[in-house]
Amino acid sequence: MEQVAVGERRVLYDARGLAEPDAEAPRTSRIEGGRAVFDATDFSTRLINLEIRRLLVEEKVTDITVVNPGAKHSVGVAILERCKIRFEGSLGYFGVGLIDGPEVEITGRVGWSVAENMMAGVVVIKKNAGSLAGAAIRGGDLVVMGDVGARTGIDQKGGTIIVGGKAGLLTGFMMQRGRQIICGDVGPGLGDSMYDGAIYVGGKVASLGVDCEEAELTEDDNEMLGGKLGYYGVEAPGSFRKFVCAKKLWNYDSLEPNERKLVL
Amino acid sequence: MSDATQNRRAPDRHISIDSEELAGRSYPYQHDISLVEQIDLEESTPGPGINWLEDIHLLAEDGVPAVFDRYSNSFVKIHFSIPPGREDEIARKVLMAHLQSGNSYGIQLKGKHAKFPQRTLGPWVDDSDLVGSDWHPSTLAGWEQPAGH
Repeated sequence: MEQVAVGERRVLYDARGLAEPDAEAPRTSRIEGGRAVFDATDFSTRLINLEIRRLLVEEKVTDITVVNPGAKHSVGVAILERCKIRFEGSLGYFGVGLIDGPEVEITGRVGWSVAENMMAGVVVIKKNAGSLAGAAIRGGDLVVMGDVGARTGIDQKGGTIIVGGKAGLLTGFMMQRGRQIICGDVGPGLGDSMYDGAIYVGGKVASLGVDCEEAELTEDDNEMLGGKLGYYGVEAPGSFRKFVCAKKLWNYDSLEPNERKLVL
Repeated sequence: MSDATQNRRAPDRHISIDSEELAGRSYPYQHDISLVEQIDLEESTPGPGINWLEDIHLLAEDGVPAVFDRYSNSFVKIHFSIPPGREDEIARKVLMAHLQSGNSYGIQLKGKHAKFPQRTLGPWVDDSDLVGSDWHPSTLAGWEQPAGH
């Protein structure tokens, strides 16, 4: 970027704030039998995403492997169709957000807000995830085999979040629907300000948040837990406890119908 | 207070929106269960199980059984009799028929507003038409791009 002196009239930087507004897909993938592989070592986030989209749309490939994603941020976002994507390595912040349909596997770790706003699909992370995993997800399964940070599933409006290890503070903060299955311990403030949904915990709970209480585990719950953990090969703890909204702060009845739809 | 003033202050509020209002019509699968029976929910959704459809349940709108279509923020009413014990299953099948047929208003908006190439019928139908390949931002008549951009 060229420096512009104060008072100089000509603007030489990209005022739109985009690093590569006119970038094109690098077209470096090796494609064989409906499967594609490319190495992302030298690619920016934008180039990685353009190449993924090119493979899906132009080449009609439905099985993509991205090697060396290098923990770059916002990789694999806005994929809106059924496909399989495997990242061999780690992703940074906001990985695979805004997706609707893909089945994603990440062999490494992920930063903040993985799979945020996921509508449908499956995201499996083999190691740990940062805070805000599954923020505002509306559907699909997010599976973290390792530990997660704080506020997992904040504002969750559907779907299932499975954590094989431990979870940090304020897990399920402002959760509105859906399920969380935490196999290990959880930090303070579990389910704080949750409106609905259920959180299942296999380990110790440091403390409950505002308006969260323990509920009885039903046969349907056990069936769901067995099915979900079995699907993804997550080792089940000896037993689970279930936590739901105590509904002492509920004000759904006074909501307008259109506001009610926001959580459907 | 005049009628006009009254109407401005307390208009006849119509706050529910259903897919029939958006489309101006209903669709055959809202009236005939045989048109949705053959839909395979597991096949229609990613991963094991029924994925995002787990959170779809039979609801009611205007006193009529209905399923919520999150892609158009509207209800799809179900006008046929639903066999007891199959409420959620039928609701999910009607919703999937609505999406796979491209009748959801949200899908119809894609043709005009999609900003990047994507399939019209997204994750619900394999290899549907492409939209969003030729999107250009709207421009204001008489506006000129500033120098240097």
